[in-house]
Amino acid sequence: MIQLARALAISRKDVESYYGKPPLVTWGLLFPAVLILAVYIKDRAGYLDVAPGIIAMTLLFGNTSMAAIVITFEKRSGTFERLLLSPLGMGTIILGKALSAAAYGIATSIVLAVGLKACMGLPMARPDVFIAGLLIGSCVFSLLGLIASVMVKEVFEAMTLMNFFRFPLLFLSGVFVPFAQMPGWLKPVAWLSPLTHAGEMIRFGIFGETAFASPWVPVAASLIMFAAVCVLSGLSFQRYARR
Amino acid sequence: MLRKDEMPEAEGVEGRAGTMFSRADYEMSRRREGASVRQNESETQVAVRVAGLSKAYGDLRALDGVSFEVPMRRVFAYLGPNGAGKTTTINILCGLLERDGGEVSILGRDVAADPVLVKSRIGVVTENSNLYPELHCRRNLEYTGELYGLSADRRRSRAESLLNDFGLMDKAGAPFGTLSRGMKRRLTIAAALMHEPEILFLDEPTTGLDVPSARSLRDLIRRIVGGGATVFLTTHNLFEAEELADEIVVLIGGRIVERGKVSDIKRRIGGARCLTVSFSQSVSGGDVLGVCPAIRNAELQDGALKFEASDLHDAIAQLVAFCNKENIRMNDIGIREPSLEDAFVSLLAGAGKSDGKDRP
Repeated sequence: MIQLARALAISRKDVESYYGKPPLVTWGLLFPAVLILAVYIKDRAGYLDVAPGIIAMTLLFGNTSMAAIVITFEKRSGTFERLLLSPLGMGTIILGKALSAAAYGIATSIVLAVGLKACMGLPMARPDVFIAGLLIGSCVFSLLGLIASVMVKEVFEAMTLMNFFRFPLLFLSGVFVPFAQMPGWLKPVAWLSPLTHAGEMIRFGIFGETAFASPWVPVAASLIMFAAVCVLSGLSFQRYARR
Repeated sequence: MLRKDEMPEAEGVEGRAGTMFSRADYEMSRRREGASVRQNESETQVAVRVAGLSKAYGDLRALDGVSFEVPMRRVFAYLGPNGAGKTTTINILCGLLERDGGEVSILGRDVAADPVLVKSRIGVVTENSNLYPELHCRRNLEYTGELYGLSADRRRSRAESLLNDFGLMDKAGAPFGTLSRGMKRRLTIAAALMHEPEILFLDEPTTGLDVPSARSLRDLIRRIVGGGATVFLTTHNLFEAEELADEIVVLIGGRIVERGKVSDIKRRIGGARCLTVSFSQSVSGGDVLGVCPAIRNAELQDGALKFEASDLHDAIAQLVAFCNKENIRMNDIGIREPSLEDAFVSLLAGAGKSDGKDRP
């Protein structure tokens, strides 16, 4: 409990310092909103095909970028060293940093979804699954951002490293082409992507249907990936701390 | 030592559990108890104990069997040239770096085995003032308090008290990033004191500060020690170490080359004391060196001759004899003790020579 309180203190401070800034919130909302609007203008019904994927993409880009930027920035300024010198377990630091990044991604995605519902009539068949998709997805993506942040020194290096896998994921994870419509040879690759499963959970939340046999498939896959990135982030941070 | 009245009279006495044991056993047991008590006492008197510490980065041995003890409530200066291994030592002591070998005990605990507990009892001020630039001063202190698990009331009162003590109350609402370098340094030290650590590690605390700020920071360090904390200081500023430190260790090339009280080291290593003499008429250094064997070196400095004396008494006696013989008067004479800087330079020179000898 003591360590949890300290993790929450780290998150609160990060929200106060970085995530609560109006330009960041605006950017996090504007980018996906404009993308959806562009599709909506072309085809008023067709935007629904890409909306779940774009919301998932917003999570991916928002969370990975912010988590990586914050840590890389703090490493450079020496403030991250303060955390390592404080009586905090490595899990506490990771949880604190991931929570704030995840909160940012979830908040912007919810605002985006509410805006889409209000302005464009976005359906919401299973809000619980939608929220679960946001929660699990944002946690996985935040941890991926944290892992990238301890592998590099500069912010631009973190961005380069993450773009190396983020951009291919856009085409492999059903953002623009739903998983069900993907060619068969691509599906096994898409299966390995956390973005696919976050997108499918969000899609199920919106439409009440999924390309998988059951909505539990992407939930289970996401949870397994979450466990994997938890272990990976723990190892990466331990390695960084003892460098 | 056992008092006579504590010793059992009989050769064999009955222990508490009813078992018989001999006088030798009894005395052994008392000695063990005594040793245990002494060990506990010594634990409470030693803030940091390092034994045989070693660390290598690839082929480079950064620390090679470093051992020292830091007594409680003292200022301990850890000195050495760049690359000597000072930061590596501090990073190991603070739990930022794994050691390759040796033992490290901070307040009786091994930081590698119990990092959270040890970190909760120490404060660390790194070379850079590394608080959060966007947070205002009070929030920076309170956030640090949160990380150390202080209650909200305690955080508020500690922040208030430290802002006051460090003369930063009028900057309480200013973002850390807007402060002057000296103020940033003071607030960084204040943050390290939020949880009232028993040991404060200070890495180059006055680097880059102007003279008044550096002086006020030194006063602050004295007050911190006066308050009961132990200060582990690394600095390049030997004047600062000389002013503050009770004990110093000099590290060169990952090995300790000297340790002890400042005055002892200066006396032992600092070399000759300097005499500065102005004469009533022109005198060359060569004239004096020829007749004063107790004077090792002479150089003209600001119109006076500066001599290095291997023995002060003999040097003055020989100088007086020289003056009497040559019918010259000494207008002024000054004696300067060797400084810690002199000692440090001697050590560096010695280390350079020994390095040279070791190399093929």
